Amino acid sequence: MFAVASETYNQLRLPEKCEAMIREIFAGCKANAPNFNVQPEWFRESIGRAAGRFISSSQSAPLESEIEDFIAQLQTEDLYLAVACANGCERAWWEFDQMHRSYLERVARHLASTEINAQEVVDTVYVELYGTRVVDGERVSKFSTYSGRGSLRGWLRTVIWHSLVDLHRASHDEVSLDEMTENVGEGVAHANLAVPSLGGEDSMIDEITRHRYRSATVSAIESAFASLDDHEKLLLLYYHVENMKLREIARMAENKNSPLRDWFQRKSPTREKNPESRIHESTIMRWLEKSYGKVLKLFRTELGTKHSLGDEEIAICMELATQDLASRSLYKNLSAT
Amino acid sequence: MGQIDIRGEEMRVQGLLDRFLNLRFADEGVKGGSHLDEDSLTAFVEGNVGEREAGPVISHLVDCTYCLHVTSELAKLQAGFADEPVNAPVAESQPSRLSEILGGLMTKIFGTGDGVVFAHHESEEEAEEEEPKEDE
Repeated sequence: MFAVASETYNQLRLPEKCEAMIREIFAGCKANAPNFNVQPEWFRESIGRAAGRFISSSQSAPLESEIEDFIAQLQTEDLYLAVACANGCERAWWEFDQMHRSYLERVARHLASTEINAQEVVDTVYVELYGTRVVDGERVSKFSTYSGRGSLRGWLRTVIWHSLVDLHRASHDEVSLDEMTENVGEGVAHANLAVPSLGGEDSMIDEITRHRYRSATVSAIESAFASLDDHEKLLLLYYHVENMKLREIARMAENKNSPLRDWFQRKSPTREKNPESRIHESTIMRWLEKSYGKVLKLFRTELGTKHSLGDEEIAICMELATQDLASRSLYKNLSAT
Repeated sequence: MGQIDIRGEEMRVQGLLDRFLNLRFADEGVKGGSHLDEDSLTAFVEGNVGEREAGPVISHLVDCTYCLHVTSELAKLQAGFADEPVNAPVAESQPSRLSEILGGLMTKIFGTGDGVVFAHHESEEEAEEEEPKEDE
């Protein structure tokens, strides 16, 4: 086990095998880009920072082999370029510009509402990457926050996205952060929350009974959702709230180190035996269906135990929920709880 | 008592859940407090967050509508752009000076050449320029 002492992470002494790995990775990167002039200590500091965060991400101390795996999975060529750029190496900047500028521009054009905004964002990102903030006499480049855990391009997409949100925010002072994110990229508006007035009286059930069943329904669905595993909640939120397509979710789970993939594998004996198998859209659909089944079971249990409702009353709750969904009046009852 | 129509109920609960989640999400708005940084967001979207880090990240995403939305948008972006090949730098070209790449941007953004920003690098570069070149 490897525990973090009180040192700052970039000065953290890693197990010798990890230190040797870093030296070896550095030598490989330097051989590929000898004119970047990256000093070994800069590179070591950057990996040390990332490893420190990894070590402190959980209360339990990691095994040394886990730290080795973590370092082995870093995108070290990208990190080397980022470290060189962070330290102002002209050759590295030139290569970065050649390799990534047109990509940044395409992503910005895809996300921004106008060509002017797109160009403005790319320019702003370049300036941010270079760094205009000076701390203790040192210029702080945005590149220094890149750890190599994801690809440099993925990180650049995130930086562009955030810059566009900031740009939008600057020009719309009164708009909430949530609204802004909807105006960037493919964000979709939330469900229409118009609350129609309730319709006429149902002859079978009076309003008091309806209210009781509705309250129980809302409370039960809330409890059922709360009882799910975080992975299941996330899956449902991506699908229902973010309107992500099955293939988009599948793609997130495709990488062999994805936490979603780990979870699918742990939950499926077949997958555990064959961890290399692909995560298809149908896999995601099956997991959604399993989650619905689980929610239904928890929902029924909650209505039965907490609200002491029998099968017939549960059926009434379901029926009312269906009617409310059709008329969109459930919001009134949801918001009332 | 008749048999329970599980499939029908599942469909209903799916609709109920859909509405509940959308309303809860909309009601909640954006909470204050910290959000995942760009590095963690990217690592998660690309599936590079190991088991050890995954728990806290996923818990945060379930609770934070903003970060949930960002990861979803980034995942869509990734699907559209991740496969684009990286341009190899053209070996024969001469690198532009860093100050040339950024200087124009500074002028555009801040309306000034912003010499101060580049000052500490310029000294190094200028020193190199002043040195007589061996091949001249």
